[in-house]
Amino acid sequence: MAAASFRVAQDDQGRRHVQLLGQWSLREPSNDFAKLKQALQPFFADTFTKWDLQEIEQLDAAGAATLLSGWDNKLEGNVSLRPEHAALFNTLIGLKRLPAKKTEHDRLAPFITIGKGVLHLVHHFTEFFRLLISLLLEITYLFRRPQDFPWREFSANVYKSGVNALPVTALLGFMVGVVMGYLMSKQLHAFGADVYIVNILGLSIIRELGPVLMAVLVAGRSGSAMTAQIGVMRVTDEIDALTTMGISRILRVVLPKVLGLTFVAPLLVLWTSGWTLAGGAFASNIELGISFRFFFDYLPLVVQPINLTLSLIKGLMFGFVVALVACHFGLRIKPNTESLSNSTTSSVVTAISGVILVNAWFAIMTRGIGV
Amino acid sequence: MSENLIQNTPQESIPDQDIICDIQNVCTEFGDNIVHHNLNLKVRRGDITALVGRSGCGKTTLLRHIIGLTKPQSGNVLLFGENLHAMERVAQRRLMDRFGVLFQQGALFSALSVFDNIAFPLRELKQFDESVIYQLVMHKLALVELDPRDADLLPAEISGGMVKRVGLARALALEPELLVLDEPTAGLDPDRSHNFIDLVKQLKKSLGLTVLFVTHDMDTLASLAERVAVLEDKHIIADCPLRELAKIDHPFIINFFQSIRSRLEKL
Repeated sequence: MAAASFRVAQDDQGRRHVQLLGQWSLREPSNDFAKLKQALQPFFADTFTKWDLQEIEQLDAAGAATLLSGWDNKLEGNVSLRPEHAALFNTLIGLKRLPAKKTEHDRLAPFITIGKGVLHLVHHFTEFFRLLISLLLEITYLFRRPQDFPWREFSANVYKSGVNALPVTALLGFMVGVVMGYLMSKQLHAFGADVYIVNILGLSIIRELGPVLMAVLVAGRSGSAMTAQIGVMRVTDEIDALTTMGISRILRVVLPKVLGLTFVAPLLVLWTSGWTLAGGAFASNIELGISFRFFFDYLPLVVQPINLTLSLIKGLMFGFVVALVACHFGLRIKPNTESLSNSTTSSVVTAISGVILVNAWFAIMTRGIGV
Repeated sequence: MSENLIQNTPQESIPDQDIICDIQNVCTEFGDNIVHHNLNLKVRRGDITALVGRSGCGKTTLLRHIIGLTKPQSGNVLLFGENLHAMERVAQRRLMDRFGVLFQQGALFSALSVFDNIAFPLRELKQFDESVIYQLVMHKLALVELDPRDADLLPAEISGGMVKRVGLARALALEPELLVLDEPTAGLDPDRSHNFIDLVKQLKKSLGLTVLFVTHDMDTLASLAERVAVLEDKHIIADCPLRELAKIDHPFIINFFQSIRSRLEKL
């Protein structure tokens, strides 16, 4: 076993003879064909060079293809070969070349891209509404046959996306509350309006920040998990297996996720808002010396209770949107890794955008209430 | 009683350079479940060796030890005389290029086309330019008897038999010495599995490969294997040419040989 090498000699007419030696094969681990090709480049360029491959120990397709690329993909009279190697070279030369793909420039290309994008979007919307309608149909079916309600999956989803989310929502809510409380106390203190910290924090957290913060966290944590789970179930044909057992995939897979998250989201909103308020109270206690007792006694007086109702309704809507978007993208996953990652990303991005849109719409609808 | 007899049969001595894979005293356990206990096996150069045994007896685990995916709790697995797990990184990679693996489901990269799947190991070497890679990929496609027009398809768009062929082409891309096949004919109809076996045999001859495979399919075993290693009760209880199984007196092997005898006679 010897690495691939070559020897150069010159005959009396000044023509160079290149003799190839050793193993011209990938099996010899010390070969580097890139270096060999570079070293042979001057001889490839000179058409008068004689090539002698008789002494080669072993030649494989990789070695042969490297040499052929130097010889312009043809064998000429200046190469002397052993017959078994000639066969390999001829096979390689004889391989069909696929017709190169047409890369004609199309002036209409931008319009086609836009058109395709619009159609894609329309397709998404129709699919989304189809999912929504079939979900509603399944719910009406459940009114007729309540014993078919998937309680186990429902409670599993409540646990996974609700109970397991408690630590992270509490921690992040508290942190955001501390930061907001700190910054606002600085500003309010400059005007001597210390006590208004309760009004500002109370209204903004209960009405806006708590629900939105919860929705963003849940979209990132449970929404992505739902999409990926449904996607993998599709890849491994589990969804088809369910269907063949006569079990509706909407009823067993989508419905428990959507209802579970819709059910648990308002509770998560309460939990997140509570911790965010605690963070705010903590910061105002340190910065402004407002006692916790005063903060929470004064809160119901300045923030109307209707705001709490609004925030719970928001929680319901956000949970529904996040879960439905996650299921929609999950069901669209094609059986390959690229599609899985794309859909999971789109699911989270769309869910968060959807939540913010719904939030804006809801803010306009309820602009006269509770402020 | 008979078991001891077989284990004590002295191994014929084989020159070292003819042993491609040497498994020495391997023990594997998952929790309380002992899968291999002081298991020994040698794979010779140029042979087509089948690894057989009951379902769940640890064949695939042993295969995963051999190709370096897992490490046994104790004992050594030597590939080409070297231990994959006790090597410096570059040398380890070089060693791993010397064998090709065809997984049961093909394990093609689903985001890459057939062409890119086969080109992947070649590109990773960083020794060839695209025109050479193109030629080599087309050559491998021709070797496994696939149409060059299939090169642009994605793995999701081709049939199970084609996935196996593409997987084989990818395994052969770096001209390996050892080809490892996990259930090479699982999921193929009899006709296709027959063709696939012929293809592997023919490639083995033309490329000078050593083949090691795991199978449950008796037809595949009878028509492809030259040697057979039987894994039973945590040990290799027999490692011999297929027909010599008849001479071994062990309940599992007697049972097992009966089911392949008629197939061997047909050949």
